[in-house]
Amino acid sequence: MNELLANGPGLGAWLSLAGLLFCIGTYGLLTRKNLVAVLCSLELMANAVNINLVAFSRFHGDELGQVFALFSIALTVAEVAVGLAIIILVYRQRQGIEIHELTDLRG
Amino acid sequence: MNATALAVLVYPLLSFLLLGLVWPLRQNGRLAGWISTLAAVASFLGSLRLLWKVLEGEGVGSATIPWLVADGKVIAELGIHVDGISASMLVVVTLVAACVQAYSLGYLADEPKADLGRYFTWHSLFIVAMGGLVLAPNLLQLFLAWELVGLCSYLLIGFYWRKPSAGRAAVKAFWVTKFADMGLLLGLIVLYATTGSFEWSTPVPAAWAVVVPALLFVGVMGKSAQVPLHIWLPDAMEGPTPVSALLHAATMVAAGVFLIVRAYPLFEAAPPLLLAMTWIGAVTALVAAVTAVVQDDIKKVLAYSTCSQLGFMIAALGSGQLMGGYFHLTTHAFFKALLFLGAGAAIHATHSNSIHQMGGLWRSTRFSAVLFIVGAAALAGIPGLAGFFSKDLILEELLHAGQYGPLAMLLLSAGLTAFYMTRVVAIAFFGPASEGAAHAHESPPSMLLPMTVLMVPAVLAGLAGPLFAGLWNQPYHFALTPVGGLATLAALSGIGLGVLRYGTRSWASPLPEGPRRFILSAPIDSFWLAAWQRGLQPVARGIGWVDRYVVDGLMNAVGWLFLLAGEKVRALQTGRAQDYVLGVLMGVLAVVAYGLVGAA
Repeated sequence: MNELLANGPGLGAWLSLAGLLFCIGTYGLLTRKNLVAVLCSLELMANAVNINLVAFSRFHGDELGQVFALFSIALTVAEVAVGLAIIILVYRQRQGIEIHELTDLRG
Repeated sequence: MNATALAVLVYPLLSFLLLGLVWPLRQNGRLAGWISTLAAVASFLGSLRLLWKVLEGEGVGSATIPWLVADGKVIAELGIHVDGISASMLVVVTLVAACVQAYSLGYLADEPKADLGRYFTWHSLFIVAMGGLVLAPNLLQLFLAWELVGLCSYLLIGFYWRKPSAGRAAVKAFWVTKFADMGLLLGLIVLYATTGSFEWSTPVPAAWAVVVPALLFVGVMGKSAQVPLHIWLPDAMEGPTPVSALLHAATMVAAGVFLIVRAYPLFEAAPPLLLAMTWIGAVTALVAAVTAVVQDDIKKVLAYSTCSQLGFMIAALGSGQLMGGYFHLTTHAFFKALLFLGAGAAIHATHSNSIHQMGGLWRSTRFSAVLFIVGAAALAGIPGLAGFFSKDLILEELLHAGQYGPLAMLLLSAGLTAFYMTRVVAIAFFGPASEGAAHAHESPPSMLLPMTVLMVPAVLAGLAGPLFAGLWNQPYHFALTPVGGLATLAALSGIGLGVLRYGTRSWASPLPEGPRRFILSAPIDSFWLAAWQRGLQPVARGIGWVDRYVVDGLMNAVGWLFLLAGEKVRALQTGRAQDYVLGVLMGVLAVVAYGLVGAA
């Protein structure tokens, strides 16, 4: 355990990985047209946050962070379930799940 | 004393509330009439008792409750103020009111029940309002009651509401008196601003000593029908005849005279105004008397006669003496009410207002004819009857004040008064037999009895001079002075002329055709109409333009500005989720950037 701490990648590396994932997710969220892809991008962003939680927990020696990450994963699952359900309903109504077609709230 | 004085107001108030709230009672016209009449009679008995007590020296004073309280200070009080003036005036008001209501039971018997109920409801309200006016402890309560009697006047003139002319007359009366009341209201505001009270006799600072009573007098001119604001009174004759008798002859139109009597300390401090009052009164007396001469409608004759007699009272008050004006107010109330009720009996019998349609009524309705003639003689100033004493006192007061111009005008008016009353009596009762009079029947007892009751004071009230002198603490002893002799001479010659001209049963015109037409064309009405059309309406249109295009325009511009802004801003709302996410991202970046800059 301590060996890994001493010889493995440092906290900065883990945070960089998380930041990279978060940016990829944001890019996907802003640019993908397919609703499922948008949902996947959201998942990437959520998991980037989870990596942060676990990394900090590890390097601060506080297990609460990992518990918190578990909660976060559970919530994300629920969110995905609801999101997919919405996507199915959108498909049933419009025979398509292109996000740029959903402009009913235009002012 | 408070209980006695309050009782006078409470009976008609109860009657008004009962008839006003319990509509089945009101819909049953005759029952409503009886309730209202009994309340008026009870009120009359109460005021007699009050006068009796006051004459014995008991119960003079006032009782008030705070009404408007602001900043811990009482601005105005409501209550009753009992003294000789209010007690005697109350007797006059309630006696005439009781007689008129009893008379109405017969006169209006054929009217629809609902209309009749409404009529008596307003009558009860009128007695309350008039009593409140007479007993008012300050000018503000008087103003309140003043407007209430004005409202009753409007409602009762419009009694025959199916007739468009009655509706127009009611509106005209309302507007003309309201126009004059602007002066009264303004006077009250200035009075309060300068003295901080609404009391009768608070001295007004010298700078305002003329302005305040002059403004009050404008209101008086409207209510008491002084030239040129008298134009509503002849039109008010569209109302039922008993209403004319009570409101537009005996009591309400005398409210202006009463106001001057009450607030006399204010008027006394303004000698120029007193002089103006004398002249306005004299001009009114003469103009109205001349106009009365050419009228063919019996009620119009009496209406102009009322104007004329009110002119006498105002002129007398302007001479600096109170007693003559007030004394004439009371005697006039009795004999003019009697005259109106007599005219009502003639109208009831012939179904026409025109004296030419009444010719020969003497043969068919002898009893009411006698009553009318007694009233006419009292008005003309036949020695011994009521009008003689009070008119004589007025003329002497004017002589005493050295107002020879107005005195001459009043003497001429007195002669004209005798002349036009003789004309009416000669044509209506002794003139050529007309179709209307051929089928005429004597009025029912419910009309004749109140007239007979009123005849007593119309004959005897002149003897009450010493009683009134007691109220004012002034010596009074009647003596036939040269002025009194002149007045009697004027009256007798007026009667003589009338008999000469109309006694031979001719249909002579009272004046040459030219002047007659001029007077009948109502020049003062035309003046006001022109003033309204050419003076007031352009101003109103100008103000309307400013309101529509400047004030409203500004408001519209503000609204339009926001609409335009909204139109521009809505482009930001694309409805695409990704645009919003981008916005959120930018926001987060901005916050982070701000945090970094702030930290640095």
